[in-house]
Amino acid sequence: MALDITQMSARQIHAGIQDGSFSAVEVAQGAIDAIEALEPQVHAFIQTTPELALKAARAVDADRAAGRELSPLAGVPIAFKDNMNEMGTRTTCGSKMLANYESLYDATVVERMLAAGCLPLGKTNMDEFAFGSSTETSFFGPTCNPWDLDRVPGGSSGGSAASVAAGMVPLSLGSDTGGSIRQPASFCGVVGFKPTYGVVSRYGIVAFGSSLDQVGPFGRSVGDVALAMNALAGRDPRDCTSQECAIDFTANLDEGVEGMRIGVVPAMNEAEGVQPEVIAALNEALDHLRGLGAQIVEVELPHIDAAMAAYYVIGPCEAFSNLSRFDAVRYGYRDPGHADLSSMEDASRAVGFGTEARRRILVGSYLLSSGVYDEYYLPAQKVRTLITQDFREAFSKVDAIVSPTSPRTAFKLGEVSDPVSMHLSDLFTIAINVAGNGGLSLPVGLGRDTQLPVSVQILGPQFGDDRILRVASALEGCYDIARTAPLAAAAKGGE
Amino acid sequence: MASMETVEEVLKDWEAVIGLEIHCELTTLKTKMFCGCALEHGAEPNTNVCPVCLGLPGALPVPNKAAVQSIVLSGLATNCKIMKRSMFYRKNYFYPDMAKNFQTTQGPIAFCMDGWLDLEMEGDDAAERHDVEKDENGGYVYRVGIERIHLEEDAAKMIHVGGTDGRIAGADHSLIDYNRAGTPLTELVTRPDLRTPAEARRFMQKLRQIYLALGISDCSMEDGSMRCDGNISLRRRGETTLGTKTELKNLNSFKSLHDGLAYEIVRQARVLESGGTIKQETRHWDITHKRTVVMRTKETADDYRFFPEPDLAPYDLSDEFIDEVRALLPELPEAKKARYQADYGLPSHDALLLADDGELGAFFEQAVAAAGGMHAQRIANYLLNDLPAALNAAEGEATVADTKLTPEALAGLAKLQDGDVISSKQGKQVFAELLEQGGDPEQIVEARGMKQVSDTAAIEAVIDQVLAANPDKVAAYQGGKKGLQGFFMGQCMKAMKGQGNPKVISQLLAQKLDS
Amino acid sequence: MPLSEKDVRAIADYARIGIADEDLPQMTEDLNNMISSLDAIKEFDLEGVEPTFHPIGDLSNVLREDVVAPSLPREVALSDAAETEDGQFRVPSILGGDQ
Ligand SMILES: [Mg+2]
Ligand SMILES: [Zn+2]
Repeated sequence: MALDITQMSARQIHAGIQDGSFSAVEVAQGAIDAIEALEPQVHAFIQTTPELALKAARAVDADRAAGRELSPLAGVPIAFKDNMNEMGTRTTCGSKMLANYESLYDATVVERMLAAGCLPLGKTNMDEFAFGSSTETSFFGPTCNPWDLDRVPGGSSGGSAASVAAGMVPLSLGSDTGGSIRQPASFCGVVGFKPTYGVVSRYGIVAFGSSLDQVGPFGRSVGDVALAMNALAGRDPRDCTSQECAIDFTANLDEGVEGMRIGVVPAMNEAEGVQPEVIAALNEALDHLRGLGAQIVEVELPHIDAAMAAYYVIGPCEAFSNLSRFDAVRYGYRDPGHADLSSMEDASRAVGFGTEARRRILVGSYLLSSGVYDEYYLPAQKVRTLITQDFREAFSKVDAIVSPTSPRTAFKLGEVSDPVSMHLSDLFTIAINVAGNGGLSLPVGLGRDTQLPVSVQILGPQFGDDRILRVASALEGCYDIARTAPLAAAAKGGE
Repeated sequence: MASMETVEEVLKDWEAVIGLEIHCELTTLKTKMFCGCALEHGAEPNTNVCPVCLGLPGALPVPNKAAVQSIVLSGLATNCKIMKRSMFYRKNYFYPDMAKNFQTTQGPIAFCMDGWLDLEMEGDDAAERHDVEKDENGGYVYRVGIERIHLEEDAAKMIHVGGTDGRIAGADHSLIDYNRAGTPLTELVTRPDLRTPAEARRFMQKLRQIYLALGISDCSMEDGSMRCDGNISLRRRGETTLGTKTELKNLNSFKSLHDGLAYEIVRQARVLESGGTIKQETRHWDITHKRTVVMRTKETADDYRFFPEPDLAPYDLSDEFIDEVRALLPELPEAKKARYQADYGLPSHDALLLADDGELGAFFEQAVAAAGGMHAQRIANYLLNDLPAALNAAEGEATVADTKLTPEALAGLAKLQDGDVISSKQGKQVFAELLEQGGDPEQIVEARGMKQVSDTAAIEAVIDQVLAANPDKVAAYQGGKKGLQGFFMGQCMKAMKGQGNPKVISQLLAQKLDS
Repeated sequence: MPLSEKDVRAIADYARIGIADEDLPQMTEDLNNMISSLDAIKEFDLEGVEPTFHPIGDLSNVLREDVVAPSLPREVALSDAAETEDGQFRVPSILGGDQ
C-alpha cells in the first residue's frame, strides 16, 4: 500500500523516516504518486524529476542505514520554482526563451535544500520571468488553483503554492519580488514566507528585480516553513547582498504573543477594492491576537501610496537590464534564418518573450533613458528611502504589523486581463519588497462569501524574521483549518 | 598660410587639445573581476569561463578585492584622490562580447579622481610645443590632469570570419571566446590638457612605467593588455572655445599614439584651413597606410541607461584599507630618477632612462652596489648605450635578463676600465663576451692577454723602435708637421697589439718628439 | 507627453525587441497606461532625500579574495548555445552594427 503523503507535514515525514515507520524511498514514491494523480488537473509543474527524487531518497535511506545523523529535512519532498537553477533540470522561467535551457549549475538555495536531504520532485510553473500575479503568463499554460480548478493559484510562484496546497509536496520554494510568494500562498491557502532581503541567497535564481527579489518557502504549517528557513538562511559568498543570519527559526515558535504590540495600518485595510470577507477575516485574526494577550495598535505608513509606483519603476528598470542577457547567443531561444546579428536578436526576443515580459522590458528601457531617469528612477529610489523610514518608524512602536495579504481571494482564469488591474492584486505585498522587510502569508480559513482561502499577512522589521514566524505560529494555533485542498482526498477517493 | 606638412608647423598657428582614455588589464591578478576564473593569456577558447562571466541566468558577481587594491594603488601613484564612497553601475548596451549585455563599470564617482602627472619633455619631443618656456637644454616640465581612474570588466574576444582582414565589415559570421570577458580593467581618463603628440606619448610611457613599477599589469600593448584611445580637436592659437573633436582608436603602440595624433592634427588643420568643418566621429588609425579612417559618425550621444548595479554592495573604503595599500607603494620612477641624480651624480637624461625601466634600474643599482658605490656613470653608459645596441641587433623583446651579464660582472668591467687596466675598446669586447658567455671580466682579460700595458719602460722601448724606423717622419714632425703625432700613435699601438695604454703612449711620445 | 509609436519603436530597437507594425499601437497604449500609473512617484516632496539603491542597510565593501575557482568544462559552457564553432559561440554577421 503506497504511502499517502498528501496531508503530512515535513516534520511528520522526517519523524517517520527517523523512527523507521517508512523509508525515504517510500516517501519519494508517495510524492510521485500524488503528483501523478493530481498534476493533470492542477498543472503545478513544468518538469517533474521523479528519478532525482528517488536517487536523493536512496541516499537518505543509506545514511540512516549507516547510522549517520539525518538533518531535520532529510527525506522531505520539495519542489523548486522554475527560475531556480538545478543541475539535471531545465530552468525555463515559464518562458519560450528558456524552454530548452539546461541548468549548468545549482542555485545556492537548491544546493542547500539538497544538502539538507530534501527530495527534489520537480520545477514548478510560474508567470513568465515572474512577471505576473496569476501564473497565467507561463509559456507552458496556466496552473489551476487546487481549491477551485477554474481559478488562478496567484503568482508568480503559482506552481509552488499549488503543489503544496494540492498535497503533492509538503514544501516548495518560491521567489517574491512584489508578493510572488505571499499572494499565491494566500490564494492557495498555504503558508508562504518572504524573508528580509539578504537573509536568503539569490545566487542561481534567475533575476527579475535584483534589489527586490527574495527566495522563501511554502509549507502547510508555520513550523515547516521555519524548518525550511533554517536550511535556507545565511550568508552566501556568491551573493554580495546576502547577510549573516545565524538564527534558529524554530526556536521561538511556541513563545506566544502575550504583551506584544501588533500594528494595523488603517490606510491599508480601508483601501478601495478590498473584499469585505478579507476585512472580516483580518478582524477575526486581530481578535484572536487580542485573545492571546497582544495589544493591537494603529500605525501610519505615510508613504505607502507611493510604494506601488516605486515598485513599478524599480522592478521594470532592473528587469530590463537583467533580461538583456537573453540574446540567443550563449543560450536561449534563437529565431532561425537571420543573416545579421541584430535582426536575430530582435526576432528571438520578440518571439521568445511573452507580452508582459516585453512590456516590462520596454518600460524599463524607457524609464532608464537619459532625462527620464531623473523623472522616475531616481525619485523612486528616494521614495524607497521614505518607505523604509516609515517602516522603521512603525516598528519602533510595534513588534509586527498585520494586514490582509491580498485585497481579494483567487479570481477566475482569464478574469483579469488588463495589466494595471492585475498589478493591484499586489497592493499589500509590494511595500515590503521596496523596503526590504520580511512578510508571511498565513491562511485563516475560507472566505465567508467565496468559500476560497483567505489569509493575513504578518510583517516584521528588517531581520526580525523569527519574530514574524513566532506571531504566525501563535495565530496559526487559533485555527483548525484544512491545509491540503479537498482535491487530494477526492483524487484518492476516486482511485 | 603656414605649410601644413608637419605637426610642428601646424602647431605654430593651431593649438591641439588632446585627451586620452587608457585601458589597462590587471594581468598580474590571479582571477577575473567578478568571478574566480583564472586570468590566462592564450588559453583555449572558452576554457576560463563560469556562470558569472558567461552571464548565465541567475549568476551574480562578487568583486575581486585585489583588483580594488590595485586601482587604489594606481590612484595613489598618480596623485589622485581616493574616493572612499563609490558604486558600480551597469552600462547597458547590446553587443555579444558582453555576456550580460551590460558592462559593470563605475558611475560618476570612480575609486580614483582628480590626479596628475608631470611630464618631463626633452629634445625632439619638446620641439613640438611652442607656447611653453623651455630650460637651457630646450626641455620643459608640464603637468597633465587626470580626471579619473575607474574599475570595470573587459569584454570577450570576437573573431570575424569570412571577410577580409578579420574586419567586421564583410564578415559572414563571428565567433566569441569569453575567456577575456570579466578581466579586471582600469580605465584612466585624462583631462584635455595634452597639447602635442609627443606629450601624449610621454604620458602613456610614464603611466606604463608607473603601472609596471606597481606590478599591477604586464602593460603589454602588443597583447592588448594596455590600450589607448585619443580625443583631439584643434583651435586657433588664442581661442578659448573648444573645436569639434574626433575620437581616435587603435593607438596601441607608442609610435601609433604619436603618429596617429600627428596625422589627425595635420588632417584637421588642412580641413579647417580650407574652410571645412570637422565632423564628430570615431576614426581608426590605419597603421599600414598611415592614416586615420572613419569608423562611425556620432549623430546622437550614446544612451547607456546607466544605473547603480543592484547586485553589488556599495563601497565605503576604510582608512585602514587605503593605508594598507599605501604601504605597498614601491619607489616610483620619478623619485627613483631624483635619487639616481643625487646619489650617483648621473645626468638627468641617464637617470630618467634608468628610472623609467624598472628592470634596468634594478640591474644598475645592483651593479653599482657590487662596485662599492663607484663607477656609476661607466655602468650607466654600458646599460644605456652598449646594451640596447646589442639587444637591438638581436631583435625581439630581449632585455638584460635574456643575456648572460650579471651585475657583479658589469661592476668588475667598469672597475677594470675606470682603473685603466683595459682600454675602452677592450672594454667593449669584454662586455660583448659577458653578454654572450657570461663569466668573470678579470679572467676574460687575463685569458685574452688583454691587459693594457702602462709600464713606462716597455712603452719607451716601443716608441724608440718606432721613431728609429721612421727617421724621415720624425724629421718632418720636428720640421712642423705636428699632425704626424697620430701616425706615431698608431704605429706604437700596432706594435703593442692594441694593449698599450694610449694615455701613457701619447704622453711619452710627446716628450720624446718635442724634446 | 505620452509616448508616440515612433518613440516606442526607438525604445524597442534599443532593447532589441522586434515589434510587428500591427502590434505597435497596442504596445504604445499599454506602455502609456503603465507609465501614467507611475505618476504617484512625482507627488512627494523628495528634496534632500537620499536614494536607497540597495535595501541592505549599511552593508558595504563585500569583496572576495583573489583565489582561482574551477571554471566550467568547455563542452558544458557551450552546451546551451544555439550554434558553436571551434569551441566558440557563433553568431550571425554584425553588419555595420551601431556599436
Ligand atoms: Mg570604459
Ligand atoms: Zn568566470
